[in-house]
Amino acid sequence: MQAEAIDFIRFTTVSPTTIKKMSVAKLIVPDTYNEDGYPIDGGLVDQRLGVIDPGLKCKTCGGRVKTCPGHFGHIELVRPVVHPEFAKTVYLLLQATCSNCHKLLLTTDQIADAQPLIKSIVQSEEVIDEANAASVLTTIEEEDRRMLLIKKLKAVKKCPHCQTQQPKIKLERPTFFYVNGTKLKPDELRDWLSKIPDEDLKGLGIDPLATRPEWLILTVLFVPPVNVRPSITLESGERSEDDLTHKLVDIMRINQRLEQDIDAGAPQIIIDDLWELLQYQVTTYFNNETPGIPVARHRSTRPLKTLAQRLKGKEGRLRYNLSGKRVNFSARTVISVDASLTINQVGVPKKIAENLTIPIYVTLWNVDEAKKFLENKTYPTVLNVITKEGIRKRITEANREEIIKLVEPGYILERQLIDGDISLLNRQPTLHRLSIMAHTVKVLPGRTMRIHVSATVPYNADFDGDEMNLHVPQSLEAQAESRYLMQPKDLMLTPRDGSPIMALEEDQIIGIYMLTRDGSVFDKEETSILMSSVGIYEMPEPEKNGMYSGKAIFSMMLPKTLDYDYKAGQNHVSIKKGKLVSGLISEKLVGSNGLLMLKAFEDYGSDYAMDFLINMAKMALRVTAKAGITISVKDYYNPDVVNKEKDAIVRDVEAKAAELATRFKEKKLDSLPGYTMKETLEIEIMAELEEARSMASMSLNKHIGPENRTQLMAMVKARGNILNFVQTSMLLGQQAVRGRRPSRGYKGRILPYLKRNDKSPLARGFVESSFFDGLKPIEFFMHAMGSRDSAMSKSLVTAQSGYLQRRLINAMQDFYVDENLSVKDASGALIEALYGGDGIDPTKERLARE
Amino acid sequence: MSETEKTQFTVVPGEAVGTVAAQSIGEQSTQMILRTFHAAGIASVVTTKGLPRLIELIDARKKPKFPTMQISMEKGVESKYEKVRDIWRKLEDVKVKSLKLNVDEDFRTSSMVITLDPEKLSFFELTARQVVSKLSKLEGVEAELDGGAIKVKAKKKEGIKATRTTFVNILDTSVSGVPGINKALIQQNDDGTYYITTSGSNMEEVLKIDGVDKKGVYSNNPFEVARIYGVEAARNLIANELLTTIKEEGLTVSFRHIGLLADAMTYTGTIRSAGRHGIAGDKDSVLARAAYEETVKHFINASVFGEKDQLKGVAENILIGKQIGLGTGRIKLAVKKEDIKKLSEK
Repeated sequence: MQAEAIDFIRFTTVSPTTIKKMSVAKLIVPDTYNEDGYPIDGGLVDQRLGVIDPGLKCKTCGGRVKTCPGHFGHIELVRPVVHPEFAKTVYLLLQATCSNCHKLLLTTDQIADAQPLIKSIVQSEEVIDEANAASVLTTIEEEDRRMLLIKKLKAVKKCPHCQTQQPKIKLERPTFFYVNGTKLKPDELRDWLSKIPDEDLKGLGIDPLATRPEWLILTVLFVPPVNVRPSITLESGERSEDDLTHKLVDIMRINQRLEQDIDAGAPQIIIDDLWELLQYQVTTYFNNETPGIPVARHRSTRPLKTLAQRLKGKEGRLRYNLSGKRVNFSARTVISVDASLTINQVGVPKKIAENLTIPIYVTLWNVDEAKKFLENKTYPTVLNVITKEGIRKRITEANREEIIKLVEPGYILERQLIDGDISLLNRQPTLHRLSIMAHTVKVLPGRTMRIHVSATVPYNADFDGDEMNLHVPQSLEAQAESRYLMQPKDLMLTPRDGSPIMALEEDQIIGIYMLTRDGSVFDKEETSILMSSVGIYEMPEPEKNGMYSGKAIFSMMLPKTLDYDYKAGQNHVSIKKGKLVSGLISEKLVGSNGLLMLKAFEDYGSDYAMDFLINMAKMALRVTAKAGITISVKDYYNPDVVNKEKDAIVRDVEAKAAELATRFKEKKLDSLPGYTMKETLEIEIMAELEEARSMASMSLNKHIGPENRTQLMAMVKARGNILNFVQTSMLLGQQAVRGRRPSRGYKGRILPYLKRNDKSPLARGFVESSFFDGLKPIEFFMHAMGSRDSAMSKSLVTAQSGYLQRRLINAMQDFYVDENLSVKDASGALIEALYGGDGIDPTKERLARE
Repeated sequence: MSETEKTQFTVVPGEAVGTVAAQSIGEQSTQMILRTFHAAGIASVVTTKGLPRLIELIDARKKPKFPTMQISMEKGVESKYEKVRDIWRKLEDVKVKSLKLNVDEDFRTSSMVITLDPEKLSFFELTARQVVSKLSKLEGVEAELDGGAIKVKAKKKEGIKATRTTFVNILDTSVSGVPGINKALIQQNDDGTYYITTSGSNMEEVLKIDGVDKKGVYSNNPFEVARIYGVEAARNLIANELLTTIKEEGLTVSFRHIGLLADAMTYTGTIRSAGRHGIAGDKDSVLARAAYEETVKHFINASVFGEKDQLKGVAENILIGKQIGLGTGRIKLAVKKEDIKKLSEK
């Protein structure tokens, strides 16, 4: 259903007269259904308020469950009560007005002074000029001035109009008011408030048309329609009413008792008690978390969810139902890899493709094509037909032929998803815009959705059971936008800093390394396989000995016009006219910082960049498969030199730590500026122990070469770093708890096994064993402490940064770039005169720079 | 850059740059650490780092948890250690207790005798007389010089505990130094010049000190900077601090995102936080505010003041189910009526 256009929404309070006008029934019976299970007239589920039982008809509009929108009723309160949420407003009004003449505690001149600045708030009739940033500034300023005015009013002791000395007014939360210590009952409050002149309200910025203060004291209570508070029928046939209904029953009961007691002339004390009880019931009806009063509970002691609770918070109406939308035409399943897809595609299980539909808008030009789909009895067929009148019909074998005859321009056919359709793929948490991208559909057998490995990075997905959501854009406009703006090939550069986000990963990087390193050659057969893997059916220039160099093979994927130079240390990459002349294609060029990727994207466009990436990946994987990237336990037995060096490192560190400790004991340690000697000792020991790890990695780097695949991985930056290798095969190093050496436990020691005041590194969490050797018991405990600490802090970071992101988005979501490249927000306020100071698109920032 | 290149790289009008900025910063913050103390081994002033610092800045806290300053020296001073040391003496907060050699407390008469360390006195270029005059300014305290020692008599108070508090207060009295600065360290630049870092900050006072480069005083407290140099400076400070915090973690975020956030926090002329009491809480739209936090409060106030929601922002339009006015939703297609007629005739 198309929503009617809403121009604006105005918020006001409702007057008792309006309530009565809007109400279709005055409710008098504090009950719901009678013994026969039929709604009681004048009760809380009166049939004039709408119906929730199928079969019954609404007595107001005659509609049934699905057609009746529901109607409001009302309860007349015997005695007025304060609306708890407005108590603060009432308090403010009492303080701002005279207790005797009820005028604002300002002279007419002062009011006149205040008027113009308040006016623009009240008369926000005129739409705020979109381009006028100044208006926002003044509104904020006025807000402050209003607060100032109120502050000033609170300080006034004597009424400037009738010279009455002002009493002290107290608000006792949530709803009780005292004037000089005596209680002001709601009816007295109402009298006072109703006497405040309209003009004076304007002085406070309150629009008397939106809110007359006496409306804040309730005499009539609005009762929401039944379909706002539907009851549920349990299996036993018993009815269970909604919390709101329960609360309303409570209110009506007390209201009725109060009425009876008043009529019977009961003593004032009893009446006041009941009155207060009525106030309590109404207070909890609006907000059951009102501070200062006991929470109203269900029979099962579960707190009741009343009006405020329905709106509030993450599971409330606003955030859960209104900001969070549910959609049709979507699917969700586990994802897995498919190396033969492009990064632009998504493999959709046939089962899903059969159930998702995409509309064909039948026109003069596609009527035949559309009918062809309709004629299909199996898979790519039409599931539903929407006639010109907008009636949706399901296609069955029985009516197929008949419908084919009817279809003409103006009809909409809902056909099953086929190859080439556009779809949106999403993975939660949707942390940035690249978490939703448009992929073209490729229908595949199986039950999982398949994507290219390089497309996992923006989604932050892996294939250990991750699930993703697929959406099918229905309107042609949405489909076009998806195709032009949201395809991964066009989103290869991240808006974060403009660097490539989709690039070669892990073993692909090893593959490219093995392919292009100096001296890598392949025979004719291997070369043919490599070339055909990327769909090139010609051979590169052979070497003199009939072999083909890896560089030449790689060059076949480059455009013939590419010239590129890159230097990093000893690696001098030179590409001339599409030939890799010298150098090694490293992670720096094709990995996540991808300088070469950037170049390809800039000079040859997104389609080329995508193909380049995919081809490199394919070829690299062939190379790795051929070479065999494998590790064995043998790789972690260190050569004797390494073991010796490790021992030396550990002994050295221990000696140094001991020496520091002695110097500390003898008070000969020079303390670092700004630190005590004890802190200095800690810092220096930490630094020494930290040193052990880096010494160890140097030793590994020196003695173990790339024939060790773990080392190779770290070396070419495919996965992991040397530290991981060090920790597996040499030593774990210092463990940290809260960024320091473990220090808590028993007196003078951390574990009972240790001796008191043991100054050895071991006693403070230095682990000299490796994962491969296995940890000593002490080390194991220390390591567990460090692990627990980092696990804890990791979970805290996710929670905190999640909230941070929500706040940032909320603060900035309305900002957009205007036609003149300035940044504005929803109210038209100018945030930046020129976006980023240069007006450059963040995704193209690095292109622009390089 | 050529004109064509420029257009090629320009942002597209309508782009939701705010959301992009928020996501870029937010996504990276997931990678951050939670610890205050990070850099071990380097002798420096303790500062908040990582996610807590990021939150501190975005929340626009009135005072950072660890305020700090970097103070550069004037041309003639910066390379002379002695002169820098003189300035350092003026900065460092010197308390009575850090000058004392010995203290004799008498709880019965509520008086104490403080013996001062002459070495320390001369180091800070102070005299015992100065200490006495500082102490005499305390309420209910009489101090007089007695040889090398200071006799202090406090007004008699009920109970030992109260007397004890008075004694502690006396010892904690600052004799010299800049209020608000607890610790100062002299540090050296790569080019051999000296500068001072402090823990605690007080820009007003530091700027008054001779020899301090008036253009080279840096504080990590945006409010302080805004007070002295104006919001524009505070904007730059916020952006710079955000950038450093992110960079320290080895993360990269384009400066335009950070700058936009800093601009959003300061464009009104005052520093506002990104939370419910700042940018999000000041929005024009009732619905946008209600959908964020403190739902009921916003509805209640909106009804009292008869507020009107113009439904211009993103949140409101999602709420009511309309297309948002950003990105492609910002572009409206206008067709002349007569053209429609022509089309329909065809």
